[in-house]
Amino acid sequence: MNNHQPIMKERAFIILTNGFKDKLFRMAKRLLVSNEEAEDATQEILLRLWRNKNKMAEYNNIEAFAMTMTKNYCYDKLKAKETKNLKIVHSNYRDERTSLQKQVEAKDSLDWVGKIMDNLPEQQRMIIQLRDIEQYNNAEVAKVLGINETAVRVALSRGRKKIREELLKKHNYGVV
Amino acid sequence: MELSNIEKLLEKYFEGETTISEEKELKVYFTRETVPSHLEKYKDLFQYFSEESTIMAAKDLKFKRNKKSKYAWVGVAASVVLIVGIFLTQPTISEPKDTFEDPEIALQETKKILNMVSKYMNEGKQELVYLNEFENTTNKLLK
Repeated sequence: MNNHQPIMKERAFIILTNGFKDKLFRMAKRLLVSNEEAEDATQEILLRLWRNKNKMAEYNNIEAFAMTMTKNYCYDKLKAKETKNLKIVHSNYRDERTSLQKQVEAKDSLDWVGKIMDNLPEQQRMIIQLRDIEQYNNAEVAKVLGINETAVRVALSRGRKKIREELLKKHNYGVV
Repeated sequence: MELSNIEKLLEKYFEGETTISEEKELKVYFTRETVPSHLEKYKDLFQYFSEESTIMAAKDLKFKRNKKSKYAWVGVAASVVLIVGIFLTQPTISEPKDTFEDPEIALQETKKILNMVSKYMNEGKQELVYLNEFENTTNKLLK
């Protein structure tokens, strides 16, 4: 029976995925914001990879592949959430939530940067996550997101400038 | 690194034209203790980036599907054992055998046993005589 292709053992799989598991988690957290949901997303992606382990040899970059899976998974989650939120808007519950959110101000200035990032469009958020936090190069970012490198550079610049703008605003308010 | 150089790098950074190694230089510069006041606002940004890269997933991977199939296997094994057990313990039906040589003696023995049974039954029935009392009273009331 062992003459067939070698079957990857759980142990080996865990060691392999530990190399990028935290990156998947951070990416999911960047998109979904909630810690719990990001943990669930990471579990789900790893389990999907495990189920397809026999095909893993075909992918030359498993990490990039897993990152793309995470992106798609989170997009689906966000889409599902959006449709749920629409219902909430109709019954006027949403207003209350945003005002509550405003009350909970960023605790310190680092949290403030996080808040600014949460307000960026998803694609810019992901590109900054991959580039500035995970230090992927533009080619790698392009591969994960399935867009070309020029688009990556343009969105990266836009996102960074937006963050700068918000930081300046906060800085100026702080002085006045 | 010179201040003018940092400012140039920052400009390039916001245009999205810095290389990964240049961005590393910026990160190193802005995580230092002292930064000129006009660049102070960028400290948060680069500090945030380096801090975020250290966040780790808290949960370890659980192979839940695998565990389920393990339990399924135990269930199958248990039911097989159960079924085999039921078949093994089922009593084999034995053919009745003659225990007497002479049919005459056999008849006598059978009669003896049947007599004994009827004797005990009658003994039991004697106790039921008391029940007639009920019958008497109801008959009295009804008539």
